[in-house]
Order: sequence, then structure tokens, then C-alpha cells
Amino acid sequence: MQARLSDKVQIQPAYLGKATIHVDAGLNRDVVRILLENDGNVGISAITGLDMGEKIGVMYHMRTDGLIVTVRTEVPKENPQIASITDLIPGANFHEREVADLFGIVFQGHPNPARLVLPDDWPANLYPLRKDAKLEEVTANVENCASCSAQHEPVQLQPQSEGKLVNIVVGPQHPALLEPEKFQIKVDGETVNDVEPRIGYVHRGVEKASEQRTYLQDVYLVERICGICNSCHAACFVETVEKIMSVEVPARAKYIRTIILELNRLHSHLLLLGHAGLEIGYETLFQYMWRDREPIMDLTEMLTGNRVISSAMTVGGVRRDLSETDVPKIKTRLEALMKKMDFYQKLYDSEPSFRMRTRKVGVLSKEDALRLCVVGPVARASGVNMDVRKDDPYEAYGEIPFKVITRTEGDTFARLQVRLDEITESINIIDYAVDHLPSGPYRIKVPRVVTAGEAVNRVEAPRGELFYYVKSNGTAYPERVKVRTPTFANIPAFIKTAIGGSIADVPANFVSLDPCFSCTDR
Amino acid sequence: MSKKKSRVSPMIKEVFAHIFMKPATCKYPFVKAEVPEGFRGKQVFDINLCASCGLCSRDCPAKAIEMVEVEGKRRPLFHLDQCIFCYQCAESCPRNAIKSSMFFELASTDKSNLVVKPEPSHQEKSGA
Repeated sequence: MQARLSDKVQIQPAYLGKATIHVDAGLNRDVVRILLENDGNVGISAITGLDMGEKIGVMYHMRTDGLIVTVRTEVPKENPQIASITDLIPGANFHEREVADLFGIVFQGHPNPARLVLPDDWPANLYPLRKDAKLEEVTANVENCASCSAQHEPVQLQPQSEGKLVNIVVGPQHPALLEPEKFQIKVDGETVNDVEPRIGYVHRGVEKASEQRTYLQDVYLVERICGICNSCHAACFVETVEKIMSVEVPARAKYIRTIILELNRLHSHLLLLGHAGLEIGYETLFQYMWRDREPIMDLTEMLTGNRVISSAMTVGGVRRDLSETDVPKIKTRLEALMKKMDFYQKLYDSEPSFRMRTRKVGVLSKEDALRLCVVGPVARASGVNMDVRKDDPYEAYGEIPFKVITRTEGDTFARLQVRLDEITESINIIDYAVDHLPSGPYRIKVPRVVTAGEAVNRVEAPRGELFYYVKSNGTAYPERVKVRTPTFANIPAFIKTAIGGSIADVPANFVSLDPCFSCTDR
Repeated sequence: MSKKKSRVSPMIKEVFAHIFMKPATCKYPFVKAEVPEGFRGKQVFDINLCASCGLCSRDCPAKAIEMVEVEGKRRPLFHLDQCIFCYQCAESCPRNAIKSSMFFELASTDKSNLVVKPEPSHQEKSGA
């Protein structure tokens, strides 16, 4: 890199991940191309926009060898244009569309620069994450919504035929999932020909809202981005803030956080595996899985004070200590769950209806998984060995032995099987963490005002890599909080795997990604 | 025979076993559900400990705490319909005047029921 573009790039090691590369706006494609030449497995984790007054910063957070390398560039606010990298890395497609929506950056050469997060009738020149976007403007525009919607073509919701292709619109009120999203599926007979996704129906502007709250309050706000992986969001946010402040949390806090994060993974995976049973028409499996999930919810309630939203994390540690009397209760419940897992494994191996619905359905090859930059169990089921817990250990994961589960089939069955095996691993991690719990304080006092600086951080949420970027300006309020959730990175995989498959396989295929749209829209 | 055996799902056995088992669900509301120690339920506010500092109201992420005048001093009033039960208020309170309770049955048809009012201190004393 230095050799080829030495005078035009500036490399800052160990900043925002492994290194930060500062380049001019015109050179972003060259840098990405060189990164790709060095390592064919380079993926993109996120693209962050940043309002810097006269200019808008664009940061490409690239993943190489499991670590983050940030490519940083700036574009003028009056004429924010930058070349798209979607043709180099197809996984950047959604990321660029999101930044285009929220910051008004034009990505030249993008194959489909349509809106993704904001509604279609959102005013053309209002970019919500820019600092000059006023709340009054937004409310005024919402009131005049009738006039703005007139400028746009009404959304076509009726089934429509294009030649022999039939257009099926699934959503926004999805018949299977409890969250709103829309998929326009073009089918030729029974075969899916094309899928056009549209998200943003539950976009709540958490990134903007967090700029108006203190760091202390933001922990509870980001925790509510997703009900299921709430601890992961909170942990990722507090870790990012701790990185900015250069705070080292006590060892006991790290272990307790690990236990809570793994309980989170356990209940999320059990929820999904049960839900997958429901989607393929196997409701008995759904009922039993959710019954066995209940002890995990009880454990979370016992340790944190609430079944779902744990509110256990805080900057500088955890909010509650784990008492000695809780340890045997954790052990007995996990042991009981471990026994149940044997039953489910037997079921997965031998149940004919389950195999028929999931084997060789929605196959995602390793090459596609890398190209589309998918994360988490979806990537691991396609043979991509990536897990933030191993690649870039956080909390106590560096000290706890565990296996990264990978499979090579890449089909729906593999994606579910990976999660089933991860449950066993999670139980072992909690067991180890409880046995090796260090003594000492469980939290340290930290100032409310965060020193100026910025940091990126990642956490392996149940659905995959969760990415946070936080910029502090030296006050009690963050300047920018960027969240990239795992499902946002995994939707392209659904498009890829659904095409060519049968329409009847769409639900089973889709649910195996463990989609969470509340996360995706933020 | 063995071939036929392998085609029977292990689920069948499990389902039949369940006919003779106790249900996994509990008979709420006839049998009261138990919550563990440390559950984050309805707040209990002790006015005698309150120093009127207003930190709870300032730190509340949901802006659910309003400072109201009670006998000439500013005291917190909890709007439970806005409360997210994070208990940051209890953590911020320098005098531990806010505590959690195990009471969770908060459903109500009237929003005015969903407040924890700071009772004047003399009532508190007569009760104690």
C-alpha cells in the first residue's frame, strides 16, 4: 500500500481498529482494490458517515484477517459525491444506500441508488444525520406529508404480471415474522427469479437520538435497539466508550459480562431454532424449544433483574455482582439444557420432515458468503471461519477455551445446525466462566464526561458481528454513534440464496438467517 | 425392521412422554408467579431519605421522573407509563431513597394509576 500510493495516503496504525488509512476522496476505490489484492477475503463491516462541519467524512471499515482497517476520506458538504465500491465488494451495496439516505452522499456508479432506510415520501434535501438537520424541519415535513407523497409514485402493492413473471409482495405486514419489512418477489411459476428488499419501516433514528442523550442514558437506549440481543448492544457500546476513555474494566466484570452475553446467545439461538420449526411447519419443535428456553430467561432474570432487557452493562463494569448462591442454580439449569440438546441433535439427525425442508435449501457458497460480507452463523455455515470472539477477543473470551463452529454445506440445515452446536459451546463457556470467576470489584467509577476521541468496537452477537463506532467531543454527550447490526449485513445473502429456489422454500431459507428488523432499521 | 425404526421421529416418544407429565406452564393468575430477589419492579420511594438533589430525574433515560413540590421541597414523581425500569435512578441516588420491589402487575386501564407519588413525610412516619 505504502509503496503504490505512498504520497497520497497516510497510514495511522492501531487507530480505529488495526489501522486507519487517510486518503483523498478520489482514491477510495484504489485503496479498496489494493486491500482486495493483498487479501481476497477482505469484507466490509460498515460505512460510517460523519458530519464534520464543512465536510462529510466517509469511513469504510474493512475486515481483513478478522481485524478492522478503516479507510477514511472526506467529501465537501455542498457537493458530496464519491465513487461507489459496490462493484468491487458487492456487500457494500446496502451500506452505501444507508449512508446516501442519512447523509445525502451520492455514490457514483451504484447499481441501485434507491432509498433503503428512509420512507419514499421523505423530503428530498433533508438528511437526518447531518448536524444541521433540525427537528422542526422534520416535524413540519411530516405534517405536510400529503404534499410530499404526491411527488412520488404510489407504491405498487397489487400482484402484477411482467410477462410470465408474477410479482408477489410479501410485507410490510409480514405473514410470518412479527416485524415489518417488504420483499418484492418475482416468481416464474414456482421458481423465484428476483427479490427486491425494502427495509426501514421501523426506523426510529436511534443513532440521532443517542446524540441528544448522555453516555449514561445511551447505554439504556442502545440496549433497546434489539430486544433479543440487548446485552450485546449495551456491551458493545460501553466497550467502545471504555476504549475512548482508555478504561480497563476489572477482571470480574469481564467474566460476568461474558456470562450475560452467552446467556443472551443461548436464548436467542433457542428462540430462532424454535421459530425455524414454526416456519417449516413443525410446531411441536417450536413449542418444545421455547419451553426449554424458559429456564435461560429465568437465569437472566435472576442475575440481572429482568427476563429480557437485562440492563446489566454500564461504563466501567457491570451493575450487579454475581453472588455465590447463584452459581449452583446456573449449573443445574445449564446441565438440564445440555441433556435436552442431545435430544434435539438426535431430532436434527433423524427427523425426515425436518431434513426435507432444510437440506440443500438456500445454499450459499463460501465465495458468495465472502463477497456479500455476511456475518455470524450464516457465514460460518458456509465455511467462513469468522467469529469476533476468536478473531478480536473482547471481555473474557481470550481466556476461555471454545471452538468456532463451522460447516461447509451452506444450506438452511447447516445454518441451523451451527446454532445448535453453538448452544453447546455457549453452555461450556458459561460453565468455565462461572468456575473461573475472578474475585475483586465488579465495577469501577468512571467520569460522566468522556474524553474527546473516537473508537470502533465489535461484539459477536447471536446473529453475527455487531459493529459500533462512537465519536466523543469531550462532553457528556456523544457526537456520533454508528450502529451496524448483523441482520443488515445478512439480508444480501437472502436475496442471493432465494433466487433460483422454490417459493415454498422462502420462509425456511429466510428464517435461517435469524432476521431481526428492529435491529436492522434502528 | 431396523430400517423402519430409524424413520420414526424421536419427537413421537417425547410427545407421548408428555401426556403423563405436568404442564410446563404455570396457572397464572390463579397461582401467583414468583419473581427472584432483585427483580426490577415498581419503585418504592422513601421521602425521608430524599435530599431533593434531582439527580434521578436528570439521569433518567426515559424522562419518566418529574420533580414536584411536596411541602416546599422538590421530590421525584415517577411516571410508570414512561418508565423503562432500568433503575438508573436508584443507582444515581446518593442517599438510596429509591428501591425496587417485586411488584410487577402494573397493567392498568387508567394512566393516572401509573404514578409513584412522593407522599408527604408525616404520613410515612405515622405508618412506620
